[in-house]
Amino acid sequence: MLYRFSAWWARCEVALAAFCAMLVTLLILVNVVTRAANSAIFWIDEAAIYTMIWMTFLAASAAVHHKSSVSVSILVDLLPRNGLSIAHFLVDLVVLAFAAMNIWFCWIWFNPTGLWASGFDVEVFQGETFNFIYAEPTNTLGIGKAWVWLIMPIFALGFCLHAISNVAHSSSGLFFSRDAGNGLS
Amino acid sequence: MTGVVFLVLLFGAVPISLVLALSAVWYIHESGNTVLYESFAQQMFSGIENYGLLAIPLFMLTGELMNEGGMTGRLVQAARVFVGGFRGGLAYINLLANMFMAAIIGSAASQIAVMSRAMVPAMEKEGYSRDFAAATTAAGGLLSPIIPPSMLFVIYGVLAQIPIGDMFLAGIIPGLLLSAAFFLIVMLVGLTQDFPKSAWMGRSDALAALRDCLPAALIPLAIVGGILFGVATPTESAAVASLVAFVIGTVVYKDLKLSRLGQLFVRTAKNSSLVIFLIATANVFGWVIIYEAIPQKLAAQITTITSDPFVFLLIVNCALFFIGMVLDGIAALILIAPILLPIAQTNYNIDPFQFGVIICLNLVLGLLTPPVGAGLYITSAMTGSKPMAIVRQLYPFLAAVALILVLLSWLPALTTVLI
Repeated sequence: MLYRFSAWWARCEVALAAFCAMLVTLLILVNVVTRAANSAIFWIDEAAIYTMIWMTFLAASAAVHHKSSVSVSILVDLLPRNGLSIAHFLVDLVVLAFAAMNIWFCWIWFNPTGLWASGFDVEVFQGETFNFIYAEPTNTLGIGKAWVWLIMPIFALGFCLHAISNVAHSSSGLFFSRDAGNGLS
Repeated sequence: MTGVVFLVLLFGAVPISLVLALSAVWYIHESGNTVLYESFAQQMFSGIENYGLLAIPLFMLTGELMNEGGMTGRLVQAARVFVGGFRGGLAYINLLANMFMAAIIGSAASQIAVMSRAMVPAMEKEGYSRDFAAATTAAGGLLSPIIPPSMLFVIYGVLAQIPIGDMFLAGIIPGLLLSAAFFLIVMLVGLTQDFPKSAWMGRSDALAALRDCLPAALIPLAIVGGILFGVATPTESAAVASLVAFVIGTVVYKDLKLSRLGQLFVRTAKNSSLVIFLIATANVFGWVIIYEAIPQKLAAQITTITSDPFVFLLIVNCALFFIGMVLDGIAALILIAPILLPIAQTNYNIDPFQFGVIICLNLVLGLLTPPVGAGLYITSAMTGSKPMAIVRQLYPFLAAVALILVLLSWLPALTTVLI
């Protein structure tokens, strides 16, 4: 169930990331055309950069589900089959540990409880926490940068979902293969 | 202790991006500077808030469009016009087509995959040994990161904060040198082995092949010409190149199906995010490098050995060769450049463009050297040759790259004269 939800969410993330990749291409092409016509649109560069960043974090989260990140596996690959399963399980645990930390980093950065306590008054929040996340503007888009930074908690949550699913999946596989091994012996 | 954590995670098969991030987390915890946790996520975000990085998905998209758009076969046919009639013609065609491809695709691994499928069966059919065909194709892939556009150059340009367009220009002469060296090797190998001789194309076939290839030739022109004449930034050139590739694939060659476009964007997003996310996590790892003053400490060690820039570059080359054997090229570049570049510039007054070309070419060698040679395994998987059999045939090519690296280290003008 959890694994299926993780797979579904990974598909959503990849679809959104692909859409962002298309948007980046279109934005830069519009930039080329408008610049050639001496009527460059000033906010396009910044919009393209943020779109690329959203694409990156969405696809990076999905990569946890697909386990497609680059790693050095020369030593681990030397292990026997059972050892390999244990090593994969340990890697999944390490990934989960980072996922949990990542949620915590986003929590202390966005500080939603502090914002709640200040009655969603950004100035009061800043005065009490010296955290200026909700006051920082984007350079040209005319929106608060917190809206753009929102990809980080979205990434953290998706990453954590996939990491939990992977641990659950590999641990069940691990115990299953051990049982199978015992049965054979 | 951070170093131990780094090595355990790295060789424990943890994704390299997370190795960097977790080492930074450990370092912050160990140093007690925990206030950095508050800006950890922001630091990852700001690490990729860079206009130059936009070129990565755009160049990947161009490569994807080109593969789907039926341009590979036409480039091979065009190469046949120029070198097809020589003894060992297909081997030369392979290298020449690789040169064309390198001017369009920015990634060696993608190029090796595409060219292995296109060239190795044809060479084998004509009587070449499969291992030699695979080795020639894999070696041709080494041209990709040097002949512009190059993904490694984009990443290096962003890390070194130097113009990516100039970095592309710096790669032109080394790319041509490398191509010439590879042609020479094929010729010398041909003297010892009896390569099959192909026939020259007839005039009408040759003209048809050149006419078919002409639209595809617009892509490197759009990229390099746009940058060279200052009309477009590398990012914009990449976007224009992807548009040209799309139009050629759909309207001219009619091989690119619109229904496949979604899949192309999916692959572009997935592949480019692997690279860009690595840069994001390298940015938090940068804290470790800066606070620990690793470049300064390393510089103090190295300057006791030599004060000569050439000797320094030779040492760097040897070290990078071994690093490239166990680390992925892009990951190694992201990790190594911020440490070694300040030393090269400050202590040895080495031009950053020269240094960039040298480390990119050196690290890409790792693609073809075991035990972690992705390019080698891709070639092996695509052709059915055993990796070590390919490596044996690759020795002359690898030796040529080593010689070129020494030459580039000796003569900075080879990289800087066009800038």
